[in-house]
Parts: sequence; structure tokens; C-alpha cells
Amino acid sequence: MSEMILDDQPQDDGTAVNQNPVERAAALLKERFPDAVTDDTRDGYTGLMVSADKLVEVATALRDDIGFDYLSSVTGVDQINDNKMEVVYHTYSIDQGGSGLVLHVQVDRDNPVLPSLTPIWPGADFQEREAWDLLGIHFDGHHDLRRILTWDGFAGHPLRKDWKEVFYEEDHKPFGSRWPGGEVFRAEEKTVYGKNVRYPEGWLPTGDEYDVETEMYTGITYTRDQQSGMKTDKLTVNMGPQHPSTHGVFRMVVTLDGETVIDLKPVMGYLHRNHEKIGERNTFIQNLPYTDRLDYLSSMSNNHGYVLAVEKLLGSTVPERAEWIRILMVELTRICNHMWALGFLLNDLGALQTPMLYFYLERELILDFFEEAAGSRMMCNYMRFGGVAYDLPDYVREQETISFLEELIYEHIPAVLDQGDGLMTNNEIVRARSIGVGILSREDAIAYSTAGPVLRASGAQYDVRRAEPYSYYESLDFDIPVRYNGDIYDRYLIRMDEMRQSLRILEQVLPHIKATKGAPIVDGKPQYAIRMPNAGESYGRVENPKGELGYYVTTRRRESNPDRYHVRAPSFINLTPLGKMCEGHKVADIVAILGSIDIVLGEVDR
Amino acid sequence: MTPGQIALRALIVGFIVSFAIITGFAYTTLLERKVLARLQHRVGPNRAGYIPLPRRGGGPERKLLAGFLQPAADAVKLFFKEDMTPGKVDRITYTLAPMITVMPAIILLAVIPWAGEITIFGAEFTPYFAIAPGLNVAVLFLLAITSISVYGVVLAGWASNSKYAILGGIRASAQMISYELALGLTVLIPIMLADSMNLGDIVAAQANGWFVFRQPLAAIVFFIGMMAELQRAPFDLLEAEQELSAGFNVEYSGMRFGMFFMAEYMKMIIFSAIIVVLFFGGYRGPFVDQLPGLGFLYMILKIIFFLFMMIWIRASFPRFRYDQLMGLGWKRLLPISVFNFIIVAVFIVLQEEGVFDSLLKLLGVG
Repeated sequence: MSEMILDDQPQDDGTAVNQNPVERAAALLKERFPDAVTDDTRDGYTGLMVSADKLVEVATALRDDIGFDYLSSVTGVDQINDNKMEVVYHTYSIDQGGSGLVLHVQVDRDNPVLPSLTPIWPGADFQEREAWDLLGIHFDGHHDLRRILTWDGFAGHPLRKDWKEVFYEEDHKPFGSRWPGGEVFRAEEKTVYGKNVRYPEGWLPTGDEYDVETEMYTGITYTRDQQSGMKTDKLTVNMGPQHPSTHGVFRMVVTLDGETVIDLKPVMGYLHRNHEKIGERNTFIQNLPYTDRLDYLSSMSNNHGYVLAVEKLLGSTVPERAEWIRILMVELTRICNHMWALGFLLNDLGALQTPMLYFYLERELILDFFEEAAGSRMMCNYMRFGGVAYDLPDYVREQETISFLEELIYEHIPAVLDQGDGLMTNNEIVRARSIGVGILSREDAIAYSTAGPVLRASGAQYDVRRAEPYSYYESLDFDIPVRYNGDIYDRYLIRMDEMRQSLRILEQVLPHIKATKGAPIVDGKPQYAIRMPNAGESYGRVENPKGELGYYVTTRRRESNPDRYHVRAPSFINLTPLGKMCEGHKVADIVAILGSIDIVLGEVDR
Repeated sequence: MTPGQIALRALIVGFIVSFAIITGFAYTTLLERKVLARLQHRVGPNRAGYIPLPRRGGGPERKLLAGFLQPAADAVKLFFKEDMTPGKVDRITYTLAPMITVMPAIILLAVIPWAGEITIFGAEFTPYFAIAPGLNVAVLFLLAITSISVYGVVLAGWASNSKYAILGGIRASAQMISYELALGLTVLIPIMLADSMNLGDIVAAQANGWFVFRQPLAAIVFFIGMMAELQRAPFDLLEAEQELSAGFNVEYSGMRFGMFFMAEYMKMIIFSAIIVVLFFGGYRGPFVDQLPGLGFLYMILKIIFFLFMMIWIRASFPRFRYDQLMGLGWKRLLPISVFNFIIVAVFIVLQEEGVFDSLLKLLGVG
């Protein structure tokens, strides 16, 4: 374990009065760009308001001089009341940790054009495409501003407030639209290809708009490589959306020279359901079960991020027992997810499901526990604002809960981890296949906004649990594992390390669970129909097993549903460097690299 | 024996052996699924067919041999499934490819010795029990026919007009070239040790000790090369499910798809038989001289052992990458087998020339 570095000491920033790095950075920026940067003075909002024409300079200064080198999230918001389109950037500092600096940029709603930040942070690539796709915000200078989640023929930008939903054309949300004038329309009675979905001007389904697509459908292109004089054919292969190893309906357009990848473009959106639009229509509590469906392997963590965001808006507190239960659940989810991820990574390497099925035995126990606690094995919907939905059950699999958990944490999981270590870690073929493949350097990992195990395997020791502690993580004793090579093997090892650290956390949580037995699990009365006391924005970020999961929620005063509800999905953003990682490797490596990123399409496509 | 008698005998033996191998192929699939399941904490197929055993004192009956009719169910399914031909395939090649794959597998059976000299119902089988006994270039025959079967795979990949399939087909040809050299050189070693290309002679030469004990390295190289030849994990690149979805057979369905599997499993059995004959004493075993019928049993047990080994390996190892596989073939196995071959050849010559005897005499030992 020599590669691990203890990160137990919080960063000490000296004794300056203005010691909060965020405030210091904000002051510096305001000083340097007095015309362009002002405080965001809206009620409930924090961060800075930046004018669009100076955005690139501000972002460059922020990255290079002030040290906020990590662009976590890019969110488009439709401020229809002000006739503005707003883009919110959440930036963080990898080395210093702490909370982030939020930049708000507002542009005219009728002609929303912003400079693209992809030259500074390539990680903004997919997120800007998403903002273009869903909100119609044009990013000037983006190299490939195409639709990403909806299909190419989609007309309109569905997250705009004045966009009519396909089946329920009503202005009022959340409920009014379903029964317009007391009349019920069923989906079958309206055609999708009616006036709601139109082909854009000049768009043809068989058109030659995109080079890659054309090449894909014309089959093998016979081109002669002039330099080498050899007759070589480049082959464009469509991996997915129906492919056994894309972990769902994900497509990679791969251009091959022999077996070597020369270009790879991810195509996604096959599972798109406009989660965020649904989120705006729903009340706050109604969104909880929807978050389960994002990363459907770790629903508990998804719940956690969302309730944190809403609790910030509500200003509610969480009783002690509920916090411990949350940590228990979330860390068990992490183990569960990493078991799945490693099993599938080995499966992608061709190990025929054996490691996966070995891990399943213990994963099964965890899921049984979830089932007893939450009523569902995977779609747990367990957390509530200000607590959790139910207390822990008395018995799991006809065994007392505490003794079941002790057995699980002290015996079963360590045993299966040791077994997995013994069978896989030093396997010759595993090493040959994964060492030095799909390398992502530290600089790239940060620039591409990757998060979670992918970021930490590249040498950046960044974990939201330590960087900006939430819940009781500050008081828990655990390490943030870090590896430095950034290849598949390190991404494999880091997940092994993280499972062991999760076990350490769980061992510390169990006594508290025992001690607080019978204590309340919700602060006050359970809050179902919430009206927000104040307007404002909030960003709840948790360390999901796959990386930083953030929920950006804005609301107006006395509203019962979010004005904007955005999910910073780690799987989605971790895919940004996929093409770069795969370049120059073989076909077989693509699936292994994809497996080592560990995506869930429910979260990628939203 | 007259030529007519020989032909008749070959026909009868051929019928028996082919029938046995087709049943064997079906049950190899079941063995594979059951063993894999056991290795992976699963149960495996257990629905199709069982022998009910009533439990004493009521209760649900016990199910003996649950799943033993699974191969029959699979075969019925494959036969009755719609055999689709995609639109833009090269029809003739597409149809021929599965046949080209299966036929060599069946032809290979001709020379495999299943038992020693034996008399069954008054019919004598000399010098050993095989379809074409006494073929004195049997090993050469095996190598020649084996090389043909790769054409089926390559043609299937090419004719399917699918990119995954063609990648699988290209991989197949590259893989075969990389491994057949090492395989061919390794096969020479039993030939030299037995001083014959006749499989019966090779088995007979192992009466005093299997060749695996004299040449373990050659046996290991042969086993690795054999798995690459059979496209078994960890060398199953050409049908790598995770990468190419199914590789060369991605566009096939119904029984044509089944024929590829038939070929694969039949070749598994036959190659197990070949390695048994070349290195593991063939049909020889205790008391086989007194009771030649035991030869069948020994042969089958040894084949099952190798089948089990291959399944075990499949469950245990990830797959090699294309370039790693060729590196292993060309840079490791080929030099090893060349040097092994040279060393064995030199030693045999030295022994025949009596150099060792004179050396020993010189040292005063012999």
C-alpha cells in the first residue's frame, strides 16, 4: 500500500483574514477584471457573475493563476423571466480542495452565444454539447457542436421553458398539462411525428451532414495510403448500440486501421428520457425515485446527492442516526458498484463472467440488506429530506441486522476481496492486457473533468468526501487511495483499494448505528409536499462510486418544484476523454478501456 | 483382406465413430455448460430431462442427471430455427463456409486410433481400431486437414459482408499462421521418438512410458498451440464476444450457426484425442494388452480429462489481445519448438551413432 498517501489533515491556508480560497479567488478575479466580474447578488445565489465576452480570459486566469483547475460542471439555465440564458460553471481546485467557485454567465435569450471553454477545459466538450442540445445555447469555438442526447432530427431544445412537451402541450407545470381542460389524451392518440417533432430545415435522415456517419454506412472505403505506398483500407465500425460490451445502449464510431484504432467518437442518447425536464415538472419529493434510475447500480448514492442539494435549499438538519445510516448505505453501495465494475472489467477482458459471478455472492447479501431496509434491491428510494425513509430492519435473512452487517463487513466482503485479489490482480494475462493501456495523464484527467476512480488512478488525489466533506465524513478515519499510472490496471487497483477503504469506514459506522438505536431518523415531521421557503440555487455533490455526482437545483420562492434541475453525471463526463484514451490501441482494448471507466447508461443518457 | 473387405470395414467403423462423435459433441456442450456453471457458482442447465427419484417419506422428488436432454433440446431448437440469410452476402460462399468448417473436423476422425488390435464379433481390426488404420502418413494427414478448416472461418467472415465478421476472419487467418508452425514442429517430436508417422506406431512406442514424460515441453507447447488452433479461450479472439460480438459467425443463424459450433466441439474432442495419442499413451493403460477393449475406455477418459482442462482454462483466464497472441506464437512458442526440435534431433542422431555408449565406455561407467 505504499502508493497511498494519507490525506487526513485538512489543508491549512495560513492566517489571513480572507482565508477562504473561494473568497480569495473571487476577490482576485474582481480585482483583475473589474468590468467583467461582479458578485452574483440575486437572492439565494452565490458566486460570480461574469460577462460573456470576458469569459475565456476569466477562465484562463482562474485555471492558471488562481489554481481552480477543475471544471466540474457546466449547466445551462433558462431564465425566461429575465429573458436571459444562463450558463453556470462550477470550478474547483484539485490541490486545495474546499468548496467551488461558481461562475454565472448570462446572455441574451433570443441569441444565446457564449465562447466555448473547450480550449481551456476539454472536459466542457460534452457538457456544452448537452447545453446546446437541450437549451439551444450556442458555444462559439466548440469544435463539434452537435446534438448529443436527443437525435439529430429533433426540432427545438426541450429544456427551454417555452418548449412544448410532445404529448402534454401546456404552459403550466407540473400537473396542469396532463389534463388540459379536464380532457385526457393518451399517448397513442397523438403522433410523435406530428407538429411536435419536425425535421430541422434541410436535414435529411440519409444526409451527408456528418462525415463519420456517411463513412459508416458506405462500408469499407477503398483508399490508398500514399505515404507508405501500401494499399490500406480504413474501416469504420459501429460498436453499439447493440453490442455486448458497451454496458448498455452506447455507441462508439470507431475508425480502424487494421486492428488499430485511429479515431473513436462516442455516440449516446439512446436511453435519453430528459430526466431533467421530468425533474422540473415533478415536485421535489417526486424526483427522489427518479434519481434511483440514473446510475441504477448505486441508487443510494444518487439519493444522497439529491437530498443534500434540496436540504441546502430547505436549510433542514439531519438527525445523527440518519446520517450514520446514510453513510452505511452509501459505502455499501460503493462496494456493490465496484464489485460490479471490476467483474465487468474482467468480463470485458474476456474472463467469461467468472470474476463477476464470484463477486455476486457477496453483492447479493448487500442487496438483500437493501431490500429489507428500503423495500427494493436496486431502486431503493431510501433517503428523504432531513433523514431516511425507514429505520433499519430488525432482521435480515433471518439474522439480526447488526450481526448480519458485522458478518458482512468483517468476514464476507474481506474474504471475497482477498479471493479476487488472489485470482485476478497478479494474473499474467490481466496484467499484460491492462498495464500501459488507455493511459490518461494527470493533467488530462483534470482537464477532461474526469472524476472518481478515473481521476484518482491518474494521480490526482481528489475525493469529494475529503475535499468538501459532507455528512459525517470529516470525522471518519479513512484514506483516499491514489495511483499514478492512469492505465486500466491502475483503475482496477484503485477500485480494489476503495472497497477496502469503504470497509474501514463501515467498521467505524457500525458502533454508531448500534449506539443510536431507536433515535429518530427524520428531523421533525417527514416532509412530503414542500414549498421552498426561499428562492436560490444549490449544488449538492457527493462522491458517487463512479465519481463526483452533483445536483444543481434552483428554485423560486414558494415553489414546489425545481426551476432547474441539473445532474452532473460522472459516467457522462468521464466518457469525454474516451476517444483520446483509445487512440492507437487495438479493438480489444476499446472495450477494456470503456469497462475501466465504468459507465452506466442510465446516467450517461439521462 | 480384399480391398472390398477393407472398404466395408472402414464404412462400418466410420459409421460407428461418426455417430459416437456427434453424440459426443452434443454432450461436450453439456459438459462445458455444466462444468462452467460449477466453476462459477451456478447450477447450469437442469430443466431438460431428468430421472425422477421419489424421496422417502414424500416431499419433492429428487432429480437425477437433471439437464441430460439439454443437447437434444438445443439441437431441435437449432434445426427448427429460421435460417436467415442476410441480404448482401456472397450466397455461395456464405452457404459453403459452415460446411467447409465441419467437414475437416469429420475427416480428421479417419486416422484416430481408438483401441489397439482387437477382435469384435469375429471381425479383426488390425493394426488398430480406426476408420483408416495403417495410414503411414497419419500425422501429416492430420496437419494437412487441420489447416483446411480455417478456410471455413475466413470465408464465413468474408462472405458475411459484415465488419465484425471480417475482423473475426482476419484474426482467424493470422492466428492460424502464428500457431500452426509451432504446432507442426512440435508434432515432429513424437514422430522422431517413435520413428514413424503411423499413429499406431506412435502409441506402441509409448508402451514403456508416455512421451509427455520424455518431452514435457513439447507436450505443453502442443497443448497451447492446440487451444489456439481450436480457438478456445484464452485464444478465442475470432469470436471474441466482448469485442466482435460473435466474430466470424455473427451473421449466421439456425443450423448453419450450429455447424460452426459443431465443428468447434468436434475438433475439441479430436484434438484431445490427438494429444492423447501423441503424448499421453493413446489407448494404452493398465491391462490393455490382456483386454484390448479397455483401450476405448482409456481413450475416452483421457479425452474427457483434456476437455475438462480446456473448459477449466476457459473459466479461469481473460483473453489475449490480437498482437499479444501473435507475439506469443511467433516470439515464444516458435523459437521454443525450433530449439526443442533441434536438440531432440541431435540427441537422437548421437544416440544412433553410438556416441553416448562410447562416451559412457570412455568414462568407464557402461
